[in-house]
Amino acid sequence: MKNKKGKLFINLLAAVIIATTPIVAYCSESDPIDSLNVSNYYRRLSIGLNIPTYRDFATSPLFYNGYGILLQTSWFKNSIRRERDLQIGLTLNNMSARIPKSNYIQPKTNAVFAQLNLRYNRLFQLKSISNEKVNYKLGGLAQTTQNFRINQNLQNNAIGLENITNLMVSAQMTRDVSRNRQRTFNFGLFKIRRSPVKRDLRFQLNYGIANFNYRPGYAYTYVPEINGSETSFIKFLRSSYKWSYFDGQRLNTDLEFIIYLPNGNANSWSYTWDIAHVPGNYQAFQMASHQIRYRLYFHAKKR
Amino acid sequence: MKKLIILFILSFSLFSCEKIIFKPDLGSKDPLDNFDYLWNEVDKKYSYFELKSIDWDVMRNKYRAKLSKNSNEEELFSVMANMLNELKDDHTNLVSPFNISRYDIRLKSADNSYFRTIQKHYINDIWVPESGIAHGFLNGNKVGYIMYPSFLINFSDDEMDLILNRYKNTNGIIIDLRNNGGGSLLNVPRLLGRFIETKTLVAYSIMRNGEKRNQFGSKQPFYITPHKGLRYNKPIVVLTDRGSYSATTFFALATKALPNITLIGDTTGGGGGIPNGGQLPNGWTYRFSVSQTLDLNGNNYAENGVPPDIEASFDWTDLTKDEILEKALAELQ
Repeated sequence: MKNKKGKLFINLLAAVIIATTPIVAYCSESDPIDSLNVSNYYRRLSIGLNIPTYRDFATSPLFYNGYGILLQTSWFKNSIRRERDLQIGLTLNNMSARIPKSNYIQPKTNAVFAQLNLRYNRLFQLKSISNEKVNYKLGGLAQTTQNFRINQNLQNNAIGLENITNLMVSAQMTRDVSRNRQRTFNFGLFKIRRSPVKRDLRFQLNYGIANFNYRPGYAYTYVPEINGSETSFIKFLRSSYKWSYFDGQRLNTDLEFIIYLPNGNANSWSYTWDIAHVPGNYQAFQMASHQIRYRLYFHAKKR
Repeated sequence: MKKLIILFILSFSLFSCEKIIFKPDLGSKDPLDNFDYLWNEVDKKYSYFELKSIDWDVMRNKYRAKLSKNSNEEELFSVMANMLNELKDDHTNLVSPFNISRYDIRLKSADNSYFRTIQKHYINDIWVPESGIAHGFLNGNKVGYIMYPSFLINFSDDEMDLILNRYKNTNGIIIDLRNNGGGSLLNVPRLLGRFIETKTLVAYSIMRNGEKRNQFGSKQPFYITPHKGLRYNKPIVVLTDRGSYSATTFFALATKALPNITLIGDTTGGGGGIPNGGQLPNGWTYRFSVSQTLDLNGNNYAENGVPPDIEASFDWTDLTKDEILEKALAELQ
């Protein structure tokens, strides 16, 4: 208990320091270089392929693997100095259990796995180590993920729900990989001319420092199910599920290649990896996903 | 360029963290691994060890000795199914692609229902709708008869309105739940709510919430709330037998708190515990009871069956007569 309190204090302290330090150090109103403070607003729309894995020890020791689609939208404000992003995403996945090969008749277990994800990210430039080519930012990210799973083979435990909420520290590196002059590729019979284009390669790492989760109770089967007509959804969640605080781990990485268009819009390809371990109060839940995503940036305004 | 290469290597090298954060893959075909997993899950969560005086440690020793690393899947299934059947609980099943184990309490008791007898010798103007809830008139249209074959049938409000409206001028209704093996508990208050006028506490449930075999959470009340639309407030007789299981047992237990409802027939089959569900390391699945149902005095008899208010049994030597139905008709005279 004492260790837990100590861990809690350190986590909170780290969160406060990380979230506030860049503001104090680098956000001066009297900065002489105005262009650094010009912000671009984008509405971003993404579609992608999601390859998730999960394991819920409350109902099965087996990993479930699958694939699905990913849809995201976000409101993104970006300047050299700072960045702000509010993102909502949904994935819908078809899963199957990784079952050892049977010598008799192979069991098959399929599940539907949906995830609703909401995240808010703020980043601030690390001026001392940034330069014209490479820009470093540091900040925080608040993220909540609601899982919804249906697995008919688990009978009365066919429905699985969990919420995983994290306060994370974020570090980002953006490398300018623009083509600054026209290039011509000569293939003998034909030539290809490539015009100058602004491009960025961006890598972001987020690590959870305060992790919360909302998981089912000990027996997993839901008490309000037998409370007959008195059942309400809120009561169902409150009595069947328990919050677990400062518990578990979460890590995300994102590698994105962005190509800007002359009209201010942009598009990108990215690869995201997300992993979480949720001990819960009783039995653990684990999940990971690999996402390949195509994203459109619609430039809204400059300020 | 070097930085870019480092960036790519860094981003992909993080995948190895997946193996560090996740425990190893626990999928296994090993018979003993699967046996131990199932035994432990039951040990941690099953709700009726004490009531049934089951020494689960003894069961482990008895059945584990019958397996080895080389046992085949048929042998494994047979041993684990026999171990689960020691729980004498029809909410307990082992599900494999080639067989499903069951205790089958219904087959261990006398059968007390023969619908053909009712169809041929008692019922008038029977309606059998798409839902399967058959109903008609008995005793010169003085009594209504509803045969609800399974609590899996989710009747609509319109359908129940139509049924109750049809029998509004009768002296009473007989609800036949013989051989109704249960289904959704949510249909229990939906049906009973048609026969009460005030919100009524009818039972409690307790859920296993710790590793000690007698460790349970607090009592959760089960209320029946009157339906907001059409209700029937004349006497009701409910027919039960040992085939009346699970949600039907719950229904029967709830009627004990409702003075206008009489139970006639045989003791229900039991099934007072809510089952869970889970999966073994070899991919087979299972379920077993994780809760108990208690009456208003805290008595725990639902698992072994709810006794009728009036006992009756079907005489199979005379298929022109349903003795249980006869007693119900006499009760509604």
